Amino acid sequence: MTAPPLANLINELSKLPGVGGKSASRIAYYILKRTTGEAESLANAIADVKAKIFRCSTCNNMTDVEPCAICSDPRRDAGVICVVEEAFNIPTIEQTRDFHGVFHVLLGALSPLKGVGPQDIDVAGLLKRVQSGGVREVIVATNPNVEGEATALYIAQQLHSLEVKTTRLAFGLPVGGDLEYADQVTMSKALEGRREI
Amino acid sequence: MILRSIATQAFRNLAAEEVAFHEHVNIVVGRNGQGKTNLLEAIYFLATTKSFRTSRVASLFSFGSPSTFVSGQLHRFGVDKMLSVGLETGETKRRALLINGERVPLAVYVNTMSVFAYSAARLDILRGAPEERRRFLDRGIASIDPGYLEAVSRYGRVLRQRNALLASGSASSLAAWDAELIASAAPLQRGRAAYAEALASSFAAIVAEHGYHIQNVSIAYKPSAVDDLARIRRDELRAHMSLVGPQRDVLEFSVDGRPAAEVLSGGEQKMVVLFLKFAKLDLFRRRFDEPAVFLLDDVDAELDLEILEQLLVKLPSRTQVFATSAKERFLRTLEAGPHRRLVIENGRVAATNDLP
Repeated sequence: MTAPPLANLINELSKLPGVGGKSASRIAYYILKRTTGEAESLANAIADVKAKIFRCSTCNNMTDVEPCAICSDPRRDAGVICVVEEAFNIPTIEQTRDFHGVFHVLLGALSPLKGVGPQDIDVAGLLKRVQSGGVREVIVATNPNVEGEATALYIAQQLHSLEVKTTRLAFGLPVGGDLEYADQVTMSKALEGRREI
Repeated sequence: MILRSIATQAFRNLAAEEVAFHEHVNIVVGRNGQGKTNLLEAIYFLATTKSFRTSRVASLFSFGSPSTFVSGQLHRFGVDKMLSVGLETGETKRRALLINGERVPLAVYVNTMSVFAYSAARLDILRGAPEERRRFLDRGIASIDPGYLEAVSRYGRVLRQRNALLASGSASSLAAWDAELIASAAPLQRGRAAYAEALASSFAAIVAEHGYHIQNVSIAYKPSAVDDLARIRRDELRAHMSLVGPQRDVLEFSVDGRPAAEVLSGGEQKMVVLFLKFAKLDLFRRRFDEPAVFLLDDVDAELDLEILEQLLVKLPSRTQVFATSAKERFLRTLEAGPHRRLVIENGRVAATNDLP
């Protein structure tokens, strides 16, 4: 039988996304083998993140300052807002270094099956930002799945009456991939979004 | 493509033994209830993860078994591949699809081996619910368009989401789901319209060529248009579900304006289904220039054996055929050339001989 404190740690770890019972137990035994200092710095990092990180009141990004580093950066163009479903989508876009605007995190996507409607995601906050002026373009970067697509359509419909350009990230063929492996939906989206060269 | 062998575990009454096949003609004989059709069904299941007899996969499991497993050696494009399907019953209902021991997604798996089956159970195409005919159409399209299943599953997800919204009574985001319904229905209805037209013309040509007396079966696809959702808005909100779309499409088989199932005799219906299968096979070959595996289950006296013989003679030379019949004389055309005869007794291949 596993000692209760160890069983407790394994149980907590197994609640993490992508971590099953076996991985949880491997991580727990690994932590046990480390020094007390190392284990404490992990525990402190977890406690710290909960104590010091909160959502930016403007864009809902995870931050330790208000407003967040992106919203308060004078070099960023506040006239272009990129809309994403989750805060963890931001680093992916930031890595490209091609985007110089600001973000808006919706905190989810429309999914009637899960009971998520427009009032459960922060579309209202986005509308308020656009209505307060100065926004030229809203780039909708929700996921290219059924729910993300419906969310994008919903946002486009809400912004329709406002003086703002609404765009959607292009769908298409993966760079470095082969045409023959493209699925039908991707292929027809790529055809639809073709451009002149 | 050639199916070299198959092995099953807990699949209906079949014994857990490997069965090796002839690369061209396989004749499965035995008394009734011994497992002739089960063997063909296992081949169909290996290729499609479905049955040609029933939409209830639970009936495929041997009595009391929590899981079933079928694997086979497929030769295609000069290489041998090991295909396996594992299925669990009960609450988990997990499914494992493997090619050469590696897990692959359904869309990849079902495009590896192409099989077409004639069976009396397929009379459901004419007699069954409209859903049977949509499935008949969809399986045909999937056989020539590898991406089609993806579009079907995407539409299914949109439909479930939209139905959940209509059921919840809140319609605030309905316009967005309307737009998605329209966009995701388009590839299905386009594919179905094109396939139904090609099938109808191939079917008519085959029937005419063989001079069958039922010449005027018409095949009509009637899509349930999604273009005017605003007009039915109130009805949908009251019904708490989507009232139009591919899930309501109709594929109609009629003779002089009346449903084929009402007008035609049992034997005539079997012939129509047989012709339809050969039409599907024809469309597959035009697309891939490669013979598919063809299953012919339970050839009986109700079929026009002369026409069946002509059809079989005209099959592309490398087509691998699996045929069963309670009366072996019905299969004499197939027995004329090189073939393997498999005798089934109580779920076990009791004897095999290669003839002549």
